[in-house]
Amino acid sequence: MAPFIPEGLVNPELNLFFALLLGIGFGYVLEQAGFSSPRKLAGVFYGYDFVVLRVFFTAGVTAMVGLTFLSFMGWIDMSLVFVNPLFLWSALVGGAIMGLGFILGGYCPGTSIVAATVGKVDAMLFLAGSVVGIFIFGHFYNAWEPLYTGSFLGNPFIYETLGMPRSWFAFALVMMAVLAFAITQRIEDNVNQTPKEIASQRPSYVMPGALLILSMFALLFLPEQRKSNAREVPAHELLAMLQQNDRFVDVEEATYKIIQQDKNFILIDVREPEEFERFALPGAINITIDELLGRRYRDFFGNNNGKKVFYSYGESGADMAWTVARRAGFEGIYVLEGGLNGMFDTLFNGSDKPKDPNNLDEGFSVRFLSKARQMFLEGDALPRQAAPQVPVRTIIELETPGGRGGC
Amino acid sequence: MTTETQPKPFMNPYLAGFLLGLVLLASFVITGRGLGASGAAKDAMAAAVIHTAPEYASQSGFYDAYFASETGPFRSWLVILAIGVIVGGFISGASSNRLGLKMERGPRINKPTRALFAIAGGLLFGLGAQFGRGCTSGAALSGMAVLSTGGILTMMAIFGSGYMMAWFFRKLWI
Repeated sequence: MAPFIPEGLVNPELNLFFALLLGIGFGYVLEQAGFSSPRKLAGVFYGYDFVVLRVFFTAGVTAMVGLTFLSFMGWIDMSLVFVNPLFLWSALVGGAIMGLGFILGGYCPGTSIVAATVGKVDAMLFLAGSVVGIFIFGHFYNAWEPLYTGSFLGNPFIYETLGMPRSWFAFALVMMAVLAFAITQRIEDNVNQTPKEIASQRPSYVMPGALLILSMFALLFLPEQRKSNAREVPAHELLAMLQQNDRFVDVEEATYKIIQQDKNFILIDVREPEEFERFALPGAINITIDELLGRRYRDFFGNNNGKKVFYSYGESGADMAWTVARRAGFEGIYVLEGGLNGMFDTLFNGSDKPKDPNNLDEGFSVRFLSKARQMFLEGDALPRQAAPQVPVRTIIELETPGGRGGC
Repeated sequence: MTTETQPKPFMNPYLAGFLLGLVLLASFVITGRGLGASGAAKDAMAAAVIHTAPEYASQSGFYDAYFASETGPFRSWLVILAIGVIVGGFISGASSNRLGLKMERGPRINKPTRALFAIAGGLLFGLGAQFGRGCTSGAALSGMAVLSTGGILTMMAIFGSGYMMAWFFRKLWI
């Protein structure tokens, strides 16, 4: 399932190779569209050339329809796709400044790179100006940090903000695009006083436009693939569950599964990342309590394949994580009994000989633990660099720290 | 490039938009993120400042993230993407006979004026792209594709402000 690299389906090392390929495609199309010409670009603001709107809106709608379709089919996990964070005032102020820059300079950063490449001197100056602008931002960063990092509203989707279903908004956006194409063509013809003969030679866009609208209309009535079947658990049910102790996984089971590298046994370390870096159980992944209910893990916890076992140093941290996750309706989650401390206590302080030689169960357990101890100490199972890690998937950090998005 | 060969006409804008949309979609499907342009300038500039004047850089919170990461600018996804844009733009320009040094300007202004406004426009765009956390590609285009409120608001602010200012600076273009 897509996206390939965050899902761990494609080696992250290839990420930069794909960046180059995508960049080549991006640059080629921008230049072919005529975006290396500032007079064409500025035309959108004066009505004599709407190429920016046509290319830009078509591209946005194409990608949006594609993502909507893939997500409908359950082929892409949208929780792993980067969604722009919203810092309300910073976004509005930044947009307003960029709009003025667009009018004055006639480019935006992407188009200026392309234009400079084909030899536009004004684009080279624009790029140099951009670097100065970024430097100025960095120089006074401490002064305008409150604006930059203030009014943070999460990573909302526009249809959530407007309170409508995704598919309806997608449909409305496509309609808006088609309408905008038709209207701006008339404006452009008026401004340029295009003769009728030339206008009538243009290809007709009725068919593709109608097809697009029809396909979006069909999407409205298709049921969306539900990837998460989480259901919130009421507080009184939760308290009853906490009374029972069936959420615990004992040390023997955990040790056995770790040694077997059981893929359906997923260890989740709820300690801080620094502690996780220092030492963690083989194959464990690190999700702190704060991150637990984040959008990016919703699908991970939503699927019910396998046991997901929380652990911390003792039991309390993992128990808290369990309570939070269970309250949110996640299922198939457990807590490692005794935590890391308990585990090592059992493994390393146990005796090699059963106390009661006639108790077969105890004898079996002691022999197993002594074997496990050996494996942990001598075998390749102890530190994190040993044993191939078997998390269900590698979750790659997409959000840069502090909400610093690139462009 | 000789001037005898005529530049080829531009691509049909809807076809170009469709192809650009496919590139953008591929970016999301493969890497989980959209396209961007201004971030490359930021990454490259930050790396240069940290390299030449680390003490200066340490005084601004802006550079903190760059101190934290040990990867250089050539490991930056956005910088590599920008290098790709240069390659792709060059291939397109060369195959359509559009290469050649030129200062493009409106009919009513001279070259120094155009140069001055190009620098000023770049400066404002670079500054604004920091507050907007992305420019027309990273915030507006990619943001619209994933239907993010942040990206769409930034896009509306860019074009809203552009239309408001257009009348005052009409002499630059028409």
